[in-house]
Amino acid sequence: MRIFNALDVERARSRVVIVAAGIISPLGFGLTETLASLRANKDCVSPVTKFDVEKCRCKTAGQVPDEPVLSQQRNGRKTKRLHRATHMMIAALKDLFETEPGFKPELTVIGTTSGGMSFGEDYYRALHQRRDLRHSARWIASYPPQKPVIDAHEVLGISAPCQIIANACASGTNAIGHAFECVRSGKYQRVLTGGYDALSELVFVGFDSLQASTPEKCRPFDRDRSGMVLGEGAAVLALENLESARARGATVLGEIIGYGISTDNHHLTQPDPSGSGPRRAMEQALQSANRSAEEVNYINAHGTATAFNDAAEGKAIAKLFGKVPVSSTKSMIGHSLGAAGAIEAVVCLLALQSQVLPPNINFRNPDQDLDLNVVANESREAKIDMVLSNSFGFGGTNASILIQKLAA
Amino acid sequence: MNLRIAGMGWLTPLGRGLDPVWDRLLRGEQASAQKISDLVSDKRYSVFRVPDDALRNLPPHPRLRRASAISRFAAAAGLDALAQAKSTRLRQGYGQASNHQVDMNRMALVFAVSNGGIVYTKRFYHNVVETGAQSASPLLFPETVFNAPASHLAAILGITGISYTLVGDGAVGVLAIKMAADLLHNEALDFCLVVGSEEADWLLCDAYQKWRLLKKKPPIEVFRDPPRGMILSEGAGALLLGREGEVRIDAIDAGGNFSRRLEANDIVQRILHDLADEDACIVASANGTFIDLAEREAIEKELPQATIYTPKPALGESVGASAIWQIIAGAQALRTKRLPPMVNSDPHVSLSLPTTDEISCRAAIVLSCGLNQQVAGLRLRI
Repeated sequence: MRIFNALDVERARSRVVIVAAGIISPLGFGLTETLASLRANKDCVSPVTKFDVEKCRCKTAGQVPDEPVLSQQRNGRKTKRLHRATHMMIAALKDLFETEPGFKPELTVIGTTSGGMSFGEDYYRALHQRRDLRHSARWIASYPPQKPVIDAHEVLGISAPCQIIANACASGTNAIGHAFECVRSGKYQRVLTGGYDALSELVFVGFDSLQASTPEKCRPFDRDRSGMVLGEGAAVLALENLESARARGATVLGEIIGYGISTDNHHLTQPDPSGSGPRRAMEQALQSANRSAEEVNYINAHGTATAFNDAAEGKAIAKLFGKVPVSSTKSMIGHSLGAAGAIEAVVCLLALQSQVLPPNINFRNPDQDLDLNVVANESREAKIDMVLSNSFGFGGTNASILIQKLAA
Repeated sequence: MNLRIAGMGWLTPLGRGLDPVWDRLLRGEQASAQKISDLVSDKRYSVFRVPDDALRNLPPHPRLRRASAISRFAAAAGLDALAQAKSTRLRQGYGQASNHQVDMNRMALVFAVSNGGIVYTKRFYHNVVETGAQSASPLLFPETVFNAPASHLAAILGITGISYTLVGDGAVGVLAIKMAADLLHNEALDFCLVVGSEEADWLLCDAYQKWRLLKKKPPIEVFRDPPRGMILSEGAGALLLGREGEVRIDAIDAGGNFSRRLEANDIVQRILHDLADEDACIVASANGTFIDLAEREAIEKELPQATIYTPKPALGESVGASAIWQIIAGAQALRTKRLPPMVNSDPHVSLSLPTTDEISCRAAIVLSCGLNQQVAGLRLRI
């Protein structure tokens, strides 16, 4: 089988750099707060407050506090009508444009899984209970997944067309990967990318019904892992052709050098137990970058802490990378679905910049079936030049991106 | 850009298959509306549904056993597009004999959708609202995820590489074509299958009604001022894009986003200006809503002589599938040199509507203005 990403090697390709990033997540608002939380091994998972979880097994999630989200907004009627996901997108974009106001994207590629889902829930509950539907027009207007992105564009004065990728939990990494390919191909100079998702009852209950979420702590790669907890947030990255970035004197935070994507047709919600899907995505990311596994210094794993995911991913990582340090930051903030890949890309950038390995907290006992070098419980300093970030999702979508410190 | 349509699949309320649907459109036929209702309200709405017999010969794949209608529609259209490509390649003698098959390892899938698996999503959440989280169905939940239909289609076709589900409004189909064009820039891919699919449900009708965009019953009357409303429909369209094929997509404008409905006019006009061609007809997205006014104004300013057609009065507004349907209609018009009549249009409108079914255009501009703030367009050429 020919591999998609490896084939273009003879075509002249642009180098793709990250010139700015914005983030809001349970780890904090902005790069500085996020790094501080990573260094402090912060457990950001707390009891769910946005909706009733009494009848769910799992009762916790990684939640973004309201204050930093809403403090970014203008006051006014329109602002109050916006969905929480929109507020998070605006906050992340403001964070990005504060450091790089000169970035003018030609295209925006954003990942999400559920858009303004909670407004859809409000609408259906009101219908079901035959309640007042006065607000329903705004609920409906803010429900579609493109809406938070378009609203945030309007606030920031961005006019680029939007492509919204909804590839379940791989959405964020797929969005970054596609944006990377767009710039690398030379067709675009600047692409804005990232992902967002806000907690919603429907999705929370859904994962609970699958018994994929846990009533305990989220313990990725642990022998006694019992499932995931959900999270929320938004993160955005400004990707630019290196020459263009240098020409206008932009600060370069890192360079994306490879992207791999595979589709595993084993099952709608479960990966092939052999780990073949994740392995193909990781292999393709390496081949796309023309790099070897030995060059990778850190892997930010998908690591949901479900039995199936961690087994498949862990096997694939061990086989391809041996004892490279691995952590899943979902242990700290939960799984933010469409935002996860984007948040984790920012975490990887911070790891490269600060030379700190982000921790895999709540880790107690190694799984004897997974021969991994888990960054257990505490962040630690290390020499990090190249990192890999994985995201895998329902539907069998697997995505990996490779980021490095900018080589001269 | 060498982006060509290698195969097409069309599943609509007027049936399944390129020639059967096209023939019915050329005869001026319109889909029949059905009334739908729901437990949560006394209101009833009209929709155009895909006829049951259109899905009769779908392969008995295990992935389709529990799948929602949207996935079945997509499977039908996707399989038809591949079958059409195969027969065309055989007929026209492209490549070697062994190359008549499409290599799934060298094909990407881009799936365009707006409302997704709304039927199962509603059913899943209804159970939660009705009896609590403990009664949520683990079987239904995975089908509520936007990329479930794409996952099923990838499994049926054996696609193991790129699969993206794009979400947006009626313009999402054109944005999907744009993404496919970007993907096919990489010569490692031979084909990209772009599929738009949507299923109709009472909840969607009620939502669009809240925006005052819906009409209680047919006909859909386009280019009226003030607009009189649309009827939702369902189905799928599939385009197998590659580097061989009779119809070429020679320009794509990914457009932009509008905040207020009046701003849509400016974006549509800019797109039309960029895609303008004296030799082109226009396949518009007019559906009986504010879109009609935006398109009418832009066409009057930019290409007043161009012949205008929209399939929506006959097929309804299928949102995520609609732009793909328009592209298929445009490609069929160029291939057959014919355009169907514009049923239910305002006879006094100052646009050039088809007066005879024969046309001489060698290009077709597809305009796609969505109901939720996105606008895009592209141009076909033969």
